[in-house]
Amino acid sequence: MPPTKTAGPGDLLSQVAGERQTGALVVGGHPGGAVYVFEGRVIYAESPAAPGVGELLTSSGRLAGRTWQNALDLGTSTARVGRLLVEQGHLTQGELELCVLGATYDAAYFTLATARASVDFLPSATHWLGPVVHIDTAAVLHEVGRRAELLDDIFPDPRIDTAPVSPVTRPPRERVTVTALQWELLIHADGQRTPADLALLLGRAGYATIQELRRLAALGLIELPEVRVPDAPDFFVRLPRHRPGAVPVTRPAPVPEAAPGGPPVDGMPPARGEPPPPEPPPPGVGNTGPNRLARRKPGAKLPKELATENPPVHQGTDEVLLKRIRTALRALR
Amino acid sequence: MPGVDHCLQEAMTIPGAVGASIVDYTTGFPVATTGAAPNSDHEATAAGTADVVQAANSRSLFVSAVPHDLLEDLIITTAGGYHLLRVVQTEFDSRLVLYVWLDRVRGNLAVARRQMQRLTDELVAT
Repeated sequence: MPPTKTAGPGDLLSQVAGERQTGALVVGGHPGGAVYVFEGRVIYAESPAAPGVGELLTSSGRLAGRTWQNALDLGTSTARVGRLLVEQGHLTQGELELCVLGATYDAAYFTLATARASVDFLPSATHWLGPVVHIDTAAVLHEVGRRAELLDDIFPDPRIDTAPVSPVTRPPRERVTVTALQWELLIHADGQRTPADLALLLGRAGYATIQELRRLAALGLIELPEVRVPDAPDFFVRLPRHRPGAVPVTRPAPVPEAAPGGPPVDGMPPARGEPPPPEPPPPGVGNTGPNRLARRKPGAKLPKELATENPPVHQGTDEVLLKRIRTALRALR
Repeated sequence: MPGVDHCLQEAMTIPGAVGASIVDYTTGFPVATTGAAPNSDHEATAAGTADVVQAANSRSLFVSAVPHDLLEDLIITTAGGYHLLRVVQTEFDSRLVLYVWLDRVRGNLAVARRQMQRLTDELVAT
C-alpha cells in the first residue's frame, strides 16, 4: 500500500484512469469517501454523506432489508451483489443500473469536490457490489465540477452542506411554497441532524438534499450556520450546542466574581457583596429536576417516578448511526 | 434483461427518432445518451430538459391539482421536430426522465408516446 499523500483527488483519479488501473481511490477528510475504478473506468463510489445503493433501495421500501442482507451474505465475497439481485428477480437490470449510476455520481461529488485531501490508491481493490456500470472518469470529474457550480448559483454558502439543519421558527413571509422534498427536510430537521443524516434517514440522494437545503436557505426558511472561529480546531465530533439563555443543569449559578460583569466603577469591585447561597428548596413540590434529587444512600435506587422514566430516545439519529456502522462493517469484509 | 443502454437502443427504433437520453432532472445531467442532440450538445439539452421538468413539476400547479397526481409526459413541438419527455418512476429516490427527439416529418406523436411508456415501464418493471 503506497503511503497516504495529500493531493487533488480529481488529479489522481485522472492519472489512475489514464493508466487504466483497477482499484479504489480512498479520499480522507470530511466527508471523504472512495471511488472504485475498474480498468480506468468508474464503477462505483461511496461516501458517508451520500446514501449507498443499499440504503436507497431499502429505505424506499423497494427491497426488504432481509432481501438486501441475503444478497450481501451471498455475494459480498465474490463481488456480485448487484448481479445476484437481478438474477434472483428482486430488481430489473434497469433499476439496478439507474440506482448505481445515481448513487455513484452522488458519492463522487462528496468524495471529489474537495480541492486537496489525503488520498490513497489501493490497487486491485474491488467493491462487493460488482461492476454494474462503467462510467468515463472525465464525465464524472466534469459533473462534479458542474454540481459544485450549480450549488453556488443557488446560494453561495458551503456551510449549509455540513452544518446541522434548523428551520427558522417563523417564516420570513406570509405565504410559503415548498416542494415535497423541502417539506420532508423541514419536518425532519431538528437542529441536530446534519444534511448527511437527513439524506440517510429519508433515503434521498445526498446532493439533492443539499441542493434543496441551499434553496431553503435562499428562501430564508432555515437558519444560517454560525460563522466558525477561524483558529478553532476542526471538531469531528459535533457536540450539542450551548444555547444562549439555557440554564446549565450540572453547574450551580455563577458566583458574581467569576462572571465577567460590567466594567467596575472607579476600579472598585461591584459593591453588591457576595449573595447568600440559595436556600436549598424543600423536597417534594416543584423539585423534580435532574439536579434536585434528595441525597440518597450509596447504592440506593432512584425514586420510582424518576427511575421508570426512560431517557429520551432520538430514534432517527440512532437508526442512521446503526446503518452507517453496518455499512462500514460490510465494507471491511 | 433490458438495461439502460438497451432502453436507449429501443428508443432509437421509434419511427423518426434522431436522439435519446436519460436525464437526471435535479442536476440536469445526462446519465446516458445516444444518437443526436439539438446543437449536438447532449449536456445543454439535458440542462434544458431539467429546467422544463422542474417548471412543470414544482414551479407550476399542474401536478398538484389532484392529490397523488404525478407528471407523466411533457411534449414540446417545434416546426422541425417533436421533443418528448417521459418521467421514469422508480420506487427508490431518483429523478429521471427519458428524452426522445423525433423528426417532425417521420415522427408520430401517438406512436412515440406509447412506445416511450412501454420502455420506461420495462426499465423498472417488477
